[in-house]
Amino acid sequence: MAEELFGSQTLGDIASYLEGGGAQGLAGLGLLTSAYNRLGNVGEQGQRLGQELAETQIGQAAFRPYTVTTATGGQFGTQIDPVTGQLKTTMGVSPEEQAMRSQLFGDAGQFYQQAAMPTGEREQAIFERMRLAQRPEEERQRLALEERLAGQGRLGVRTAQFGGSPEQFALAQAQEEGRNRAMLGAMQQAQAEQMQQAGLGQQYLGASYLPQQMLLQGITPGQTAAGASQQAQLYGAGLFGEATASGIDALLGSALGQGNLMGAAGTGLLSGLFAPSGGGGSEGTSFFDILRNL
Amino acid sequence: MAQELRSINLVAPAFKGINTEDSPLAQDPSFAETADNAVIDKRGRIAARKGHEVTTTNKTALGTAALRAIKTFRDDAGNTKVFSAGNNKIFSGTTTLVDETPVGYTITADNWKMVNFNDRIYMFQRGYEPLVYDNTSAVVEAMSDHTHAAGVAATMYGNEVLAAYGRLWTADFTDNKSTIYWSDLLNGVHWSGGSSGSIDISKVWPNGYDEIVSLAAHNNLLIIFGQHSIVVYEGATSPASMALSDTVAGVGCVDRDTVQYTGTDVIFLSQTGLRSFGRTIQEKSMPISSLSKTITKDIISLLQNESDFYRSVYSPEENFYLLSFVGQETTYCFDVRGTLEDGSYRVTRWPGSLFTAYETRRDGKLFIGTTDGISEYKGYSDNGVKYRFKYFSPSLTFGDPSRLKILKKIKPTLVGANSATVFMKFAYDFGTSFSTTEFTVGNQNPAFYNVNEFGANSVPLSEFTGGELTNQRSLNAVGNGTSVVVGLESDINGFALSLQEINLLALIGKTL
Repeated sequence: MAEELFGSQTLGDIASYLEGGGAQGLAGLGLLTSAYNRLGNVGEQGQRLGQELAETQIGQAAFRPYTVTTATGGQFGTQIDPVTGQLKTTMGVSPEEQAMRSQLFGDAGQFYQQAAMPTGEREQAIFERMRLAQRPEEERQRLALEERLAGQGRLGVRTAQFGGSPEQFALAQAQEEGRNRAMLGAMQQAQAEQMQQAGLGQQYLGASYLPQQMLLQGITPGQTAAGASQQAQLYGAGLFGEATASGIDALLGSALGQGNLMGAAGTGLLSGLFAPSGGGGSEGTSFFDILRNL
Repeated sequence: MAQELRSINLVAPAFKGINTEDSPLAQDPSFAETADNAVIDKRGRIAARKGHEVTTTNKTALGTAALRAIKTFRDDAGNTKVFSAGNNKIFSGTTTLVDETPVGYTITADNWKMVNFNDRIYMFQRGYEPLVYDNTSAVVEAMSDHTHAAGVAATMYGNEVLAAYGRLWTADFTDNKSTIYWSDLLNGVHWSGGSSGSIDISKVWPNGYDEIVSLAAHNNLLIIFGQHSIVVYEGATSPASMALSDTVAGVGCVDRDTVQYTGTDVIFLSQTGLRSFGRTIQEKSMPISSLSKTITKDIISLLQNESDFYRSVYSPEENFYLLSFVGQETTYCFDVRGTLEDGSYRVTRWPGSLFTAYETRRDGKLFIGTTDGISEYKGYSDNGVKYRFKYFSPSLTFGDPSRLKILKKIKPTLVGANSATVFMKFAYDFGTSFSTTEFTVGNQNPAFYNVNEFGANSVPLSEFTGGELTNQRSLNAVGNGTSVVVGLESDINGFALSLQEINLLALIGKTL
């Protein structure tokens, strides 16, 4: 067959060569080539496995959405937006708490609204109520004085000094002082009520946030558990990575060893390729003799 | 058979003054049916009143009108000035009446009341702005023109003014009969500000309604006289706080000019006679407190017929309270030294007296206002004009009204009445036709030191009077009757006359 192809010399040489050990050298070359290719595959496999590991661990280490539900029905949830991939945290209180919160919030608004109103009208309203309480007694005092003055024949007294009689002046003065005190009291009361409204508004506003605060306080244990879970997840992912990496290393090591072994075998065999065939000495046909004979 | 003449002695006749209230037959002979132009003299006898001697020599400004008010201004510095009002003018002076009416001030009435207060004299008349005079300005001026005037308004143009408790008080306004205004303390021209003021007592009248007539201050009380009631306030020193003390219903005051102070009482003329405030307050009953019970009907009659005005005066020196019904020319003289058993003053009447104003001066003189100007109550003629003294006893029955009395002798004993013609009159059985017998009292000219009564170098050189001239006559009487009225009349023209006693000698006849 070799003669048909090349000539009888060449083929003979080749055959001699192969018979003289060239075939072995060719086998070694094949092995080297195979080892080379194998080492290349080992690297690629290592890269691929590493990427797969990374991808696996990314998945393993990824944030896992969780939801905390409080005893009163409030919920705290954290999740990834499937569209945007953004982390979303949602909180929700129970309907009852929501209703209470709405009421408190609305009341707080009313209180603040009242606190923000001018006090004039309220002062007048308080003053009128105080006067309403004072008037009956004032009327009783006026009637008593009128009777007393009538008994003394002094109803008709008019003086430049007092207007009427000194008693009428004193009563009017006392009543006027009472009226003034009522006016000042009404002002103070209105201002106190304004402060009270503001305080109530503040209290109601704070109270309206209480369900939320309670929710936040309530999710702390859940968050701790989620954190522990996350930590365990991450730890597991780490272990997984390390284990997987060790496997990959072992795989790559074994593949590298195989390659090295194959290379060594190939190297050994390849040396026969370039040495003259015929056994042991220079009288044999070498590979290069063949090439020169071509 | 001849009967013994019975002597009936009327000692100090009319000692108790006039009594026209009791039945003549039942009367005490000490009363008089008539006692005209008479007073009760210092010895308790009925005597002729004094006349008036005109001081004014120039009354041109007065014209033919009469003085309606006289008041002497006096201040702390001792300045005095006599003011008077008449003929729609204000005058000053006594001998010459100087017109002091403020320029541009129109007066159409003379019913002024003048009071001294804190070195000023104030003149009030209803509807007129008050006038004021002080020695600083030396002119009579309308109050609002005064330098210190304040609050002078038509609402306080009162008819009555009172200076008391450190203020002026005024009341009786044209449109307001129940309000009293008082001035600021010690300032009679300040009617606003300070402690000035007013009081409306329309709700205080005990009878529901009355009108203020007069004001008086007595015993720390402010006495408000209404026409038919009296309201008394205490504590008027602080008028803003003064309180009603008492009210008297049914007794009021007729006119502001009838109110006089006697020191212990306030005398005023009520609708039923003269009354004393002090007693009225004590008794709170009209009859007991009347000071004119013996002439009640006469007073009421005069009140009902009086169309002009009233004037009165109290003279402690003369011991009388004079009450003049000017329109009827009648003056009643109340002797204030004591009262009768029923509490009345002894009273005499001065008919035909044309006295239109009085003023008691601090020196004891009594000024009288007439058409002649200012007179002084002195002497025994009305400015040279005689006046008639009359005395008529009540009907005397000598204790037995059933038996006939035949007067034989009338023996009056007179004191004074120098040269006067005296008419003794008597009538029987309530007759009005009196039998008259007259006599002339002896002359007793006074002798003065170093003046020879009978002329120079006469013998004897002089004769000295022995004091009061006492004249006792015995006059024959005629006629008879069961009761006898004895009277005495005499024109008073320069000399005093007192009726000491009248001794009647009569035969007591048969029983009729």
